[in-house]
Amino acid sequence: MNLVPCSVVSNREVTPGNFLLTLQVPRGFSRPQPGQFVHLRITQDVEPLLRRPYSLEGFVERGKLRAARIYYSVVGRGSRLLSLHQPGTRLDVIGPLGIGFSPRPRRLPILVAGGRGVAPLLFLSRRLRERKRPYVFLFGARSRRELYGVREIRGGRLHVATDDGSVGFEGSVLELLKREWQEQEHTPLSAEIFTCGPHGLLHEVSDFARERGIRCEASLEGPMACAVGACRGCPVPLLPGADSGRYPAMCIEGPVMDATIVDWARLP
Amino acid sequence: MTRDLSVRIGSLELRNPVLVASGIIGYGREYERLVSLEEIGGIVTKTVTRRARAGNPPPRVCETPAGMLNSIGIENPGLEGFLEIKVPILRDLPCAVIVSVEGENVEEFCELVEGVDGSGVAHAIEVNISCPNVGPHGLRYSTDAGMAREVMGAIRPLTKLPLIAKLTPNVTRVGEIAEACESCGADAVSLVNTFVGMAVDSRTRKPILGTVLGGLSGPAIKPLALAKVWEVVQSVDIPVVGMGGITKPVDAIEFLLLGARAVEVGTALFADPTLAEGCVREIERYLERMDASSIDDLIGALDVPDGRGVIRAGCASRSARGGRAS
Repeated sequence: MNLVPCSVVSNREVTPGNFLLTLQVPRGFSRPQPGQFVHLRITQDVEPLLRRPYSLEGFVERGKLRAARIYYSVVGRGSRLLSLHQPGTRLDVIGPLGIGFSPRPRRLPILVAGGRGVAPLLFLSRRLRERKRPYVFLFGARSRRELYGVREIRGGRLHVATDDGSVGFEGSVLELLKREWQEQEHTPLSAEIFTCGPHGLLHEVSDFARERGIRCEASLEGPMACAVGACRGCPVPLLPGADSGRYPAMCIEGPVMDATIVDWARLP
Repeated sequence: MTRDLSVRIGSLELRNPVLVASGIIGYGREYERLVSLEEIGGIVTKTVTRRARAGNPPPRVCETPAGMLNSIGIENPGLEGFLEIKVPILRDLPCAVIVSVEGENVEEFCELVEGVDGSGVAHAIEVNISCPNVGPHGLRYSTDAGMAREVMGAIRPLTKLPLIAKLTPNVTRVGEIAEACESCGADAVSLVNTFVGMAVDSRTRKPILGTVLGGLSGPAIKPLALAKVWEVVQSVDIPVVGMGGITKPVDAIEFLLLGARAVEVGTALFADPTLAEGCVREIERYLERMDASSIDDLIGALDVPDGRGVIRAGCASRSARGGRAS
């Protein structure tokens, strides 16, 4: 982890309201793992004051270019300002930060994505493909237009769900997961789940996994101040029995965590 | 020309007057790759309490216009955990270490001061009598001059280390609290801790912070902080450590001009981890422009017309009657 100056290579809207930011990073930025994030300073001004944590959608090393990619939604002051940055703009980032996904050998990874939560899972799927590991990618979105990155999902088996039925299964990606599990006769010893998306979806997926004893890692999202474990501003509530009286910090003990011990009802 | 930036806080000599505030960089190691500790005066540790604390339920932070609300609730390993885990880390830091302590009662403050003193790692102790996020006892000792006297008087005989009382701005006359600390042997006072604040989500009809109330920090509070520090430098003769909303290096100069002997950098360091070093360089440049050889020429050099802005405890009305301020 380092504080490094970066420059915007491109920053464009790729699905309605969602942007893909490509940032050229210097050598001081070490090669990130899927699920890790960067703490991005959006402005040198005092408003908005805090950096924003963004999980990485990918990391590109092509010739002289080393670039970190971020897929983000315009939802508030920070992201709106970020969406206005033109190529060439200099930003500084702290990263790569946190703990990423850790697939176990000899288990089929089932990736469950909801909406823009697809970002770190796309990164993971590419890494799996590089290692020639088969995987299953289940992607749920509101409509066809939000299915960012589906054409990139290669080397794995892809199933899509949309709320409006504009493509694939009409309904929740959770339903796809249930079907996948049943029809393919997966077991906790043969498969494991990696998920990212709205916390409501992660709650459902982790309940599904816990009930069946399936290993399940989720990438969490939340406001952070320091992002390096100092301020203790991003506590993750755990279920009774798992918490041992303390809150792990999302920034250094996550953002990827064992989903089955997170108390999703108490996580904002 | 090398300029002497060193300042004294009681028997504590700092190579320069820039500190990182409590709760910002943990116990030093968390930020070791981002902050050049060898360039700054020192750090104030995350507050240590008698027993370990898990901290408050989430959400604990919320960004506000030019500021941040927090309700961390002093998550820390407690005195025993501090002595075992954190002291070895602090021993190796290349800057002064000021250990922040907070007790639920006078007995706990005493045990903490004795424990920290015995660790041999602290160059000074900041007595946090002003945390708004740990329940009713957090603010008790710095919103009542009598109670401030009680705690400072009890811990003073227990250590020779400089004692810095950290004060809350959530009082009408912070100067009176500072005087009370001074009269009981505090070597210095530091202020401001955060302003009690609140944020509401109109969409969900819920408060945003898990504890409803929190403490406001960041650039939004700097004018408020300057006024509180200004009041205190007029009220006491012991050194004052100023903080609250330092966001740009020049903000540190403003606190020093008021008469603060040192400054603490807080929330804005999350955005700019180089801010503390930046403040040191800004002070050097400022002295160069002033053509001053010592930082003493800068501390308290604010040019104020006689009698204006007097808010010393109990003196404001006298001054107004004197007619000079009107």
